[in-house]
Amino acid sequence: MSHFALTIIGHDRPGIVAKVAEILYRLGCNIADSSSTILGGQFAMILIISHPRFRDGAAFGQAFEDLEAEGLSVFLRQLRPGEETAPKLEGELCMISVYGSDKPGIVYPVVKALEERRINITDLNTKLIGTADQPIYVMVIEALLPPGQELTELDAALAQLKAALQVDISLRPITPVEL
Amino acid sequence: MAVREILLYPHPILKEICAPVTRFDAATDGLIQDLLDTMIAAGHSVGVAAPQIGIPWRVVVVDVSHSKLGRDANHGQLVLVNPDILEREGHCISREGCMSVPDYTGNVARAASVVVAFCDRSGERRVIRANGFEAIALQHEIDHLDGLLFLDRVSSLKTDLFRRKHR
Repeated sequence: MSHFALTIIGHDRPGIVAKVAEILYRLGCNIADSSSTILGGQFAMILIISHPRFRDGAAFGQAFEDLEAEGLSVFLRQLRPGEETAPKLEGELCMISVYGSDKPGIVYPVVKALEERRINITDLNTKLIGTADQPIYVMVIEALLPPGQELTELDAALAQLKAALQVDISLRPITPVEL
Repeated sequence: MAVREILLYPHPILKEICAPVTRFDAATDGLIQDLLDTMIAAGHSVGVAAPQIGIPWRVVVVDVSHSKLGRDANHGQLVLVNPDILEREGHCISREGCMSVPDYTGNVARAASVVVAFCDRSGERRVIRANGFEAIALQHEIDHLDGLLFLDRVSSLKTDLFRRKHR
């Protein structure tokens, strides 16, 4: 079974998901993991799909041309065997909230600090909130602290960034509880 | 008694409404012991409900005293027969998972504090107030008795910060 990553982005309106799902259903595709959300006024869909017979992107033919004719952007990426499953990552899950008056250069220093510690970002959302005269930037990161790294050490590094960037940053572990 | 296998969804018993226990006899006591043995054997587990081991009766066991989150406020090992939540207070969100639904977690909103009435192992009626993690564990396990999984309670997608009502 070949797997593909499909992304679809376009101006948000009701019915996008239904159209996409109908096309995939008629093709005989399976939808595995997917995530869709509104960003700005755009609706963005990311789906991992598979098909029992399709070997490559060409097999989809012109299946998405109606979507494109309606102004949606469609991108299909073929996955190599095994790429459709996530490896089990070890470590401590944590949430990092970064927020403050909007200005250039908030995201990069924060994610660079994580990258330097080989901390894997598992989810990241940013949003511009507040008012036109006082825009506030909010970034929320879910990340996985590799085994052997202490939360307190990351907290200290983030405290330095907080001072340097003049933003508020907080870090907390989220302990998923298996009940 | 015995460590039982934890049933996984889609086992139909997990979606059943369980029957109240009417007699405190050897069968009930054996079930309670199996639940305790199963909870202890699954080292990471803080509670098990009877339907999770295939018995559709209203019995759960909860013990958060060994977990980091529940260590400081708990009633130790609890056996709850025919539990009933009388009061709910406050609100908290935690990332829950379930032994019967492997490899998936979701943010679930629960009451931060609950008053629960139940019969203990000897059939004695008790009422306790539980807070924090113990309250969460109790609500999660008692939900199992009504065929509810945490999936039925997921309150938000991963990050719930942005999913508020518009002002």
